[in-house]
Amino acid sequence: MTGATAATRGALRRALRHADVSRGRAAVAVWWGTAAIGSAVGLAAVAAWLIARAAGMPSPADLAIAAVVVRFFGIGRGLFRYLERLSSHDIALRGVVTLRVRVYERLAAGHPSRVLTLSRGQVLARLGADIDAVGDAVVRGLLPCAVAVTVSGIAIAISAALVPAAGAALAACLLVAGLGAAALTLRSARAAAGMGVEADARIAERALAAIESAPEHRVWGTQDGSLAGLAEAEVEGRAAHEAAARPAALASAVQTLAAGAALIASIAIAVTQANAGLIGPTTAAVVALLPLAAFEAVGAIPAAVMQLARSSAAAARIDELAPTKATGTPEAATASAPTQARPVTLEARDLSAAWPAMTPTTPVSFTVAPGEVVAVVGASGIGKTTLLATLAGVLAPHAGEALLDGRPASVEDLGPSVAVTSEDAHLFGTSVIENLRVARGDVDEDEAARALAAVGLSSWLDALPDGLDTLVGSGGGTVSGGERRRLLLARASLAPQPVQLIDEPGEHLDAAGREALRAVLDGMRQRGRSVVIVTHDLSLLDAADRTVSLDA
Amino acid sequence: MRPLDPRLIARIGPARRYVIVTAALGLATAVAIGLQAFVIARVIGPVLAPAPLTEDGLGWLGSLVPVAARDLSVAIAWLAVIVGARVAITWLQERLAHRAGVDVVAELRGRVVEHAARLGPRWAASGDGAKVTTTATRGLDGLLPYFVRYLPQLLLACTVTPLMLTVVLGLDWISAAIIAATVPLVPLFMVLIGLLTRERSARHLDAMERLAARTLDLIAGLPTLRALGRHVGPARRVRELGDAQRRATMGSLRIAFLSGMVLELLTTLAVALVAVTLGFRLLYGEVSVETALAVLVLAPEVYLPVRNVGTHFHASADGLAAADAAFAVLETEPVVVGGSADAPDLAGASLEVDGIAVATPDGMRNAPADLTFEARPGTITALVGPNGDGKSTALLVLMGLMAADSGRVRARLADGGVAALDDVDSLGWSRQFAWVPQRPDLGVAGRTLSLGQRERVALTRALESDRPVLVLDEPTAHLDHAARAEIVAAARAAAQAGRTVIVATHEPELVEAADAVVTVAAPREVAP
Repeated sequence: MTGATAATRGALRRALRHADVSRGRAAVAVWWGTAAIGSAVGLAAVAAWLIARAAGMPSPADLAIAAVVVRFFGIGRGLFRYLERLSSHDIALRGVVTLRVRVYERLAAGHPSRVLTLSRGQVLARLGADIDAVGDAVVRGLLPCAVAVTVSGIAIAISAALVPAAGAALAACLLVAGLGAAALTLRSARAAAGMGVEADARIAERALAAIESAPEHRVWGTQDGSLAGLAEAEVEGRAAHEAAARPAALASAVQTLAAGAALIASIAIAVTQANAGLIGPTTAAVVALLPLAAFEAVGAIPAAVMQLARSSAAAARIDELAPTKATGTPEAATASAPTQARPVTLEARDLSAAWPAMTPTTPVSFTVAPGEVVAVVGASGIGKTTLLATLAGVLAPHAGEALLDGRPASVEDLGPSVAVTSEDAHLFGTSVIENLRVARGDVDEDEAARALAAVGLSSWLDALPDGLDTLVGSGGGTVSGGERRRLLLARASLAPQPVQLIDEPGEHLDAAGREALRAVLDGMRQRGRSVVIVTHDLSLLDAADRTVSLDA
Repeated sequence: MRPLDPRLIARIGPARRYVIVTAALGLATAVAIGLQAFVIARVIGPVLAPAPLTEDGLGWLGSLVPVAARDLSVAIAWLAVIVGARVAITWLQERLAHRAGVDVVAELRGRVVEHAARLGPRWAASGDGAKVTTTATRGLDGLLPYFVRYLPQLLLACTVTPLMLTVVLGLDWISAAIIAATVPLVPLFMVLIGLLTRERSARHLDAMERLAARTLDLIAGLPTLRALGRHVGPARRVRELGDAQRRATMGSLRIAFLSGMVLELLTTLAVALVAVTLGFRLLYGEVSVETALAVLVLAPEVYLPVRNVGTHFHASADGLAAADAAFAVLETEPVVVGGSADAPDLAGASLEVDGIAVATPDGMRNAPADLTFEARPGTITALVGPNGDGKSTALLVLMGLMAADSGRVRARLADGGVAALDDVDSLGWSRQFAWVPQRPDLGVAGRTLSLGQRERVALTRALESDRPVLVLDEPTAHLDHAARAEIVAAARAAAQAGRTVIVATHEPELVEAADAVVTVAAPREVAP
């Protein structure tokens, strides 16, 4: 547990370093934060002095400066707090933008095997929220902690300068309130992160199942069981929340206790020394009343620690997804637009593919000459996609060879001469034509329209409000599953790479969609592409020139 | 915006109890804070006074804390008890808040899920239905900070603030007037600023969300870009979009933080004014030193809950939005399928589907559109057609689980009678179908099984049941050749045993084995 936490804490530190958080800007934010809460402390101290001095019935002029200072602190608090919030959010946003770019670059430069195996939706959607959480670490985590340290320091300094013993008592109580609450909150955060996350996931799963499968439960009379399953998960969830809530409640109690103890100690010391004639009444009043305002800054610590724990977990997830030490070669990072347009012959010699700890695929040998389409078939889960990754040079062969024009396929070939269209390729939230230009940047409108016609989307295109400029994908108009597959096929047909590897092109296609697929494959043949499709759909075999089976 | 959803209090038991207990604890806190201020005034007053104090400087409120508390040891004892009570209240409040939050969320979630299950598959497929799972899981969790952080502060603002103000009034009416004049200004200014800036912040918010979505879209598409060798350029785009988002966000924050600034400014400035005024009046002997001290200590406490309510404003917005979404589900009336007559025995009955049409969730077309077929006992009827054209929907309508927009379902019974689904109890009708859905759940029984295992168990359950109609939805989708042949044989056997068998499938072998093949089609245009 401790080791894992140390690792996640390291991750947050690394993430913040990569976010290029400027020390100068951070110092300014801490300064404004200190000025804001310091104003409250100052207000309390000067107001106490003012009342104490006034009680001695001096001339009104003696109170003039103190009255001005009290009003200044009264205005300062709101003003400084506003400036602090603006400057800290600015830092966090700058950091988030930089971190996004860094993470993007790290993912792009990393070994393609890593990027290509990412599940698109969930993991990456989470990435955005995680990067934002690292930004929150600055605003809601580090800054309040830093301000708590500076403001507590100021309060202790005032108190100690006037009466050293009271300063010592205040320091001890502030330390307990800060560190004690931090430690207890950390324990609460760990409990929530462990059991709490698991319990929440189970509740979500049961709730989802109960709603989605409601018709099934109605038919079979099993809805009571499904709701009981949810109730059972809720009980576990309650236990997990209890485990997290107990230390959190203790943290609040410890803070109240420490603030009360500081008040009692300061009053006792101040009154005793004043009665003994060691200090004047004004000093006694300031020292006695200072603890009432001094605990506001440390009061923010539990929430700050909670935020740091959340941000650390987020940073660890980012690290896992996009390791800081990029494993990719510099070549992989610079390889971009396809450079090779001449045809390439793809050859597999006794090729067997496997990810670590996976049963290797049956060795196969085949050659794909330019203008040929070869279909690799096999049951689900037999390793067709793995074989495709090996042909693309992303994964080293488990046995045998994958050759491009007689040379072993390598990572550097993906992009320049090899393109992969996966089953779940991404439809970007932009126009239809920009989505096609993902394959090749210089696709013009005629080419785009022809490619869409080839996959049978002419009438669909005609019906779009802005034609090729209509927005699709997230945030754009709705595209049905079949239309999406066809759009992706049109994109693949425009890709300039001489070797085209297509994963499960028939999935979710109806009869007309299959016709479109055949048209795309014919077009690739004419342009001299070497094409490999992998599929478990035997009805696609007539679209290929040859078939290779992975079934034993 | 309402700070507290009355439906929460009215309908959710744990929420009601929690509000009552928290309000009581808030009053206890107020009493403790007041007493603490009096004790502080009592013990420090003699130190500050130029001459020994002879009168009770706290007026009639002074009876709450005896003059004996001017003695240090008595005061310390008082303070120790008060601090102890405040520690206990803090701890208790926090524990209760967590428990109540968890209980309310669990109860609300249970009700939402149960009600959503009753609303039927059609509602589940609509936009509202898609949102309900988010509401029931992550959304409702937004209620937890609402109960733990926001609600106690809100109740403190309703108890401590007025009580403290009354105490200050009892001590010194001029200070009370200064405070009373500023407290209403706080919500007033916040509302004014909110109104003035609403349009601008809405515009900023819109821009921010758009920019963030586009950045995420680029990151989400990275595998695709990498697979096509086009992954390097967009890093610059990520930076540009991010910078634009930062500028838009800062623009909106500059406005959004204004209301917070006004809140802090008004409350702190009022405390400062109270202090300065007290100082000068003390100078002229218009107030007693004890009163001045007590008011000085109490003034910030009047505002503290109000300020905290502002700080936890977001927790309130999220929590109330979650509660609102939950109640929106609970207040949706289920669509009733069928009528009140007893469901007929479907054994040996011919099922007639006559021209049914169901609009798709986006309302763009009907799927199925005008579907008519008859399923006879002792035969296999295969529904074929493209994905998304309504095969599964047609099965749901046939089984009485979903209302069609037009058309009807009837049963020509073994005894020669005819029963329309619209007239009979739909539950009794539904329970005569042995249905294997596409992704069976099985409830408790399926909890530890993989999808493949669940499909097998669901199939066995359907085949072994004595229900007269067997309905299989894509039963061969994830199976190998041998298993597919088994299913074809099982369907055949069920038909031979006299059951009515209906399958939705793409599988040529299964279509071949069917006695009747029905094509389900959904043309793109909805007929006018």
